[in-house]
Amino acid sequence: MQPGLLVGGAALLLLLLLVARLYFVLPGFGRPARAAAARRKKGKAVARGAPNKLLCIVLGSGGHTTEMMRLLQGVDFERYTRRLYIVGRGDGLSLSQLAALESTQGRRSEGHCVEQIPRSRSVGQSWLTAPVSVARCLARVVALLYEYSPDVILCNGPGNCVVVCAVALVPRILGLKHIPIIYVESFARVNTMSLSGKLVYPMADRFVVQWPGLARKYPRAECFTHLV
Amino acid sequence: MSVYVTVGSTGFDGLVRAACAQDFLQALADRGFCRLVVQCGASAGQFAPPAAALKTLGITVESFDYTDQPLRPVEQADLVICHAGTGSILDALRSGRATIAVVNPGLMDNHQREIALELTRGGFLALAEPGSLAQAVSDAVYAGLRPYPRADPSPIGEILDEETQH
Repeated sequence: MQPGLLVGGAALLLLLLLVARLYFVLPGFGRPARAAAARRKKGKAVARGAPNKLLCIVLGSGGHTTEMMRLLQGVDFERYTRRLYIVGRGDGLSLSQLAALESTQGRRSEGHCVEQIPRSRSVGQSWLTAPVSVARCLARVVALLYEYSPDVILCNGPGNCVVVCAVALVPRILGLKHIPIIYVESFARVNTMSLSGKLVYPMADRFVVQWPGLARKYPRAECFTHLV
Repeated sequence: MSVYVTVGSTGFDGLVRAACAQDFLQALADRGFCRLVVQCGASAGQFAPPAAALKTLGITVESFDYTDQPLRPVEQADLVICHAGTGSILDALRSGRATIAVVNPGLMDNHQREIALELTRGGFLALAEPGSLAQAVSDAVYAGLRPYPRADPSPIGEILDEETQH
């Protein structure tokens, strides 16, 4: 057999294996059972999560951050004592909102870390230099997730979060660690999904929307209308 | 009874002008309001209430540009008249106030429009434009609005608990 054919065949086999693996690990492919089971659980008293989990929260850009601050009012910080916030670099508004929240809510907890990541693409940036900044952002996210190894990711739609979720899938694909991804679509989305939402939908373990019209279009989504 | 007019974090000249207009003040007085508070934002230059008319109508007026406690004046008011931004509308509705959202024609993104319309359809919110605000108050469009449920973010905590059980 020709060596070229051999390499080609091996590559094809690897690709098929990867696709098969993705099919098994991505919650969005063909297995609505998990979301349905989760919904069924809602009736019963929910067992509390195991303590001392590291919660990773992705922040970025005004409206999303304001909403996330409201969502976090529903999270018991005495239970999730370790919190990692990933913030876009230069997003001073998110940092100050976060500082305000932590100063009122987090007094009795072990504490939180804030890590900044470079923007994957700033507004008005040329598409020629975009791959460089995307690569820089990606490298930083990989380093952060490796360093902290979060137990769960909570995000609500800034562009940053797509990168974080995609990187968080890698240990799942490799069978090392399942980091659940929880995505909450913005209250501003009544009938149409945001681009971030569309991209994260197949990766998210739990996908929350805030308007029934959107829930009808996305069968795996759970709808809560009064979160914020 | 008191009414709070707020333009939010930017400016809205048309709303501030409408809040100082004679017919609007007359409508307020007719409906029993005796106190008007206006947050002007970047439209402070438009704030010029007619002093003589206020005196005869018996309405006291107070104004400021911005506040770092945006919920406080909302909670002190019986009626909130705000620009149709989602944040302002939610603050007013979640505080349980009767709310008229004033649409800035031509300066409203699609999401804001969708949300304002959806909430109006649900009977939680009244809509007006600067030109129709006085008539809206005169018609008491804010009476009979349904109370909006308070925010409950607790499902987020429950979902986190469910996903981290393992």
